[in-house]
Amino acid sequence: MQNSKLQQLESLLGAAVELRTVPASEWEKAGGTPDPEAGETLPVPGGTRIVIRASGTEIQVCDTELALTELERKMLHLLFQQKPGRAAAATDMERQARKLGDWIVQCSANGEWRAEIPDRIELRSRLFDGMIPFLLLREQADDKEPSYGDLEKAVRSFITEDTLLIPLREHEWLILAPDRLLAETDALEEDGESGEEKAILASLASGLHQMVSGEWGGECHAAVGEPIDPSESIVHTVYILRETIQLGRKFHVGMQVHLPWLVHLERLLNGIPESVRNRFVEEMVGRPDLFNDPETVSTLDAFFSMDCNVSETAKKLFIHRNTLLYRLDKIKQEAGLDVRSFNDAVLVRILLLLYKVTKRK
Amino acid sequence: MAGVRLEHVFKKYPGSDKASVTDFNLDIQDKEFLVLVGPSGCGKSTTLRMIAGLEEISEGKLYIGDRVVNDVAPKDRDIAMVFQSYALYPHMNVYQNMAFGLKLRKFRKDEIDRRVREAARTLEIEHLLDRKPKALSGGQRQRVALGRAIVREPQVFLMDEPLSNLDAKLRTQMRANISKLMKRLETTCIYVTHDQTEAMTMGDRIVVMKDGLIQQAATPEVLYNHPVNLFVAGFIGAPAMNFLTGQLVEDGGSVRFRATGINVEVPQGKASVLRSKGYIGREVIMGVRPEDIHEEPVFIEASPNSIINASIEVTENLGHEAFLYLTGLGKDNVIARVDGRSTLREGQNVKLALDMNKVHIFDKDTELNVFEAE
Repeated sequence: MQNSKLQQLESLLGAAVELRTVPASEWEKAGGTPDPEAGETLPVPGGTRIVIRASGTEIQVCDTELALTELERKMLHLLFQQKPGRAAAATDMERQARKLGDWIVQCSANGEWRAEIPDRIELRSRLFDGMIPFLLLREQADDKEPSYGDLEKAVRSFITEDTLLIPLREHEWLILAPDRLLAETDALEEDGESGEEKAILASLASGLHQMVSGEWGGECHAAVGEPIDPSESIVHTVYILRETIQLGRKFHVGMQVHLPWLVHLERLLNGIPESVRNRFVEEMVGRPDLFNDPETVSTLDAFFSMDCNVSETAKKLFIHRNTLLYRLDKIKQEAGLDVRSFNDAVLVRILLLLYKVTKRK
Repeated sequence: MAGVRLEHVFKKYPGSDKASVTDFNLDIQDKEFLVLVGPSGCGKSTTLRMIAGLEEISEGKLYIGDRVVNDVAPKDRDIAMVFQSYALYPHMNVYQNMAFGLKLRKFRKDEIDRRVREAARTLEIEHLLDRKPKALSGGQRQRVALGRAIVREPQVFLMDEPLSNLDAKLRTQMRANISKLMKRLETTCIYVTHDQTEAMTMGDRIVVMKDGLIQQAATPEVLYNHPVNLFVAGFIGAPAMNFLTGQLVEDGGSVRFRATGINVEVPQGKASVLRSKGYIGREVIMGVRPEDIHEEPVFIEASPNSIINASIEVTENLGHEAFLYLTGLGKDNVIARVDGRSTLREGQNVKLALDMNKVHIFDKDTELNVFEAE
C-alpha cells in the first residue's frame, strides 16, 4: 500500500495504523471470512484489523487501536470497494469491459459458474467461439499500476487488435484473445497435437507475463486456459484460472506463469484437510528437517520437473551428475525413500508438495 | 549511456526474517561490464531484478545516471533485459519480436526498421527475420533475444544467465560474441552468472556474492590473486584453491607452516606480516592454487624449504594439462595442476614443491585473508 494512502487512512481514522502481512489461516482463525475483500474488518484484541489486500495464503492488513462501530466498518468497506478512476471510464470500450467484468465478479461471488452472459452486456456480441483466456494478477502499489488504456494498448499490440481486456477484481484482468493465434504461431505444423497446443499456450502466457512485468514491474502472475466459448463458460474459466494461480502460488513459490493442466495433483492435495496432511507428512518423513534444506528441495523440484532424468537434472542444476547422485543417495539414506524408483518418487513428490504448504509458514 | 549506483540497498521479502540482499553498495561506471557471480540463492538475480524494476527495493537508493529510480517503472528506466528464459513471443516472427518494444513506444516505422535491420546485421540474423521462434535453434533464439534488447539502445543492459540454456560449445562462442558486442556498443552492462569462468572471461569487474552480501568487488586479476576471504578464494578458480588447516610455528628465525604431511617455510615478507598480526603459534588455513604446486625438478631443487611428499590417488589428463589428486596432505585431497606431458601416474609417491610466494593464509575464525586484511 502506498504511504500516501496509509496516511489518508490514518487521517480518516484519526489514529495510527500499522501495516502487516498475516497468513490467511490466522485471519480465518480470528473469525474472518475466507478469501476476504479489501476493506473487510475484524475486531481483534486491542483494536480492529482492516484487510488491504488478500493474495492467496497471505493477507496484507492494517491494525489500528480503534474499536470501530458496525456502521464505521461498513463505510470503510464501501470506501475500499470504490475503484480509482471508475467513475470516469475513459472510453466506451472500457465502460463495456468493466460492465462485463462486474457481471463475472458477481456471478463468481454467487457461485453461478455456468451462467450465460445476458443480453444486456454489450460485449456479448464480441465474445465468439474460440477465444484464449488469460488471467493476469498484478501485485503493485496503485500508483505503479497501469491504467486500463495503457494495458489495453500493450495487450492489443502484443496479441491482436481484437483482443479484449476485462477488468475483474482489483489488480486482476481477464484477457480474451482470438484462438487463430494458435494457428498463426503454429504455422509450420498444420496438425498441432494437444500437447503442442498447450506448449504454445504456455509460451504465449510467458511472453505476455514477460511483456507486462517488463513494462510495469512488480509481482505479476499469469494463467492461461485452453480456448473456450466465452458466452457459455466465461465465469467457470475465470474460476479455474483463479484457482490455478492460487494453487501455483501456494505450491510453487517463485513461479509466476501457471498452467491449469499442470496443477491437477496440487488441486487434489489442496482438498485434503490440513490435519490429515500434517499427519501424513509427519508419518512419512523419517527426518522432519529433511525438507528444511533448500538444496534438497531445489534438487527434488528439478529432478521431478525433468521427469526424474538424472543427466538432464544435473544439467539444469549446473552440477556434476555424480554430485546429483550423491544428493539423491543422501535423501535415500535419510528419508528411506529412493526417488529413482517410481513408487518412492510418487511418495516424495506428494510429500514435497504437502510439506511446502504444511511447514512453510 | 550511464552508470548505475546502489546505495545501502536491501531486499526483504514479506514473511521472511532474513534479507535476501543486505546493504548492497556499488558504483558501476558508465560503459563498464560488471558481472555478479555467486552460488544459487546468493542474491545476485534479486539484485539485478531490483535494478530492472521487477522487484521493489525494500531499503536504500538506486541511481541510473544521476536519477533515483526506486519508484520508476521498468519501461521508464531506459534499460533492456536479456534473461535466462528468454521468452520470445511465439506468435511473432523475428522482425516483429525485435520491433515490438519500439512499436509499443510509438517509434516511427522507418526508425524501427532501421534499428531492427542494423541489430540483425550486427548479430548476423538478417536471414532469419521472417522466421517464427519455433523454427530457430537455441543459439539463434538467444541472438534474437539479444537483438530485442539492442534495438532499444538503452543506457544499461541487464543480463541474467543469458547463456545457460545453450550447450557448452555455443556458450563459449556466444560468450565471446557478447563481450565483443558490448565493447562495440559502449554501453554499461550488468551480467549475472553462476559460472565463474564466464565471470572471469567477460567482466571488467566482478562482484562475488554470498548470502545476500558482497564478498568482494574487483577485477578478475585481483579476485584471483588477492581474494579477501576463504569463500572468494574457493569460488574463483577451477579446480578450486586447495585449503590445508595447520599451525604456524617459529623455527630457527623462520616461520613454518605445519600440517599433516606438510612442513614448509613461509617466505620472509609474508612471515613478518604473520608475526606482526600475532598468528605465530595459531591454527590457520593455508590456501594453495593447483598451479602453485610444482613437479618440475628445477623448481623443486630451487625450493628446498617448500617440498612436500604425497601419493597420487587419481590423475586426470586433459592433454595440455593434468590434474593430480594427492593424498597424505591434510584431511582432503589436494589437487595439483601439472603439464599434460607429465609422466606421473596413479599410485606413485611423488616429491613436489609449493610456490610459497603465492600461498594465502586465512584466519581460521574470521576466514579473512591475513595478507589482504587491513
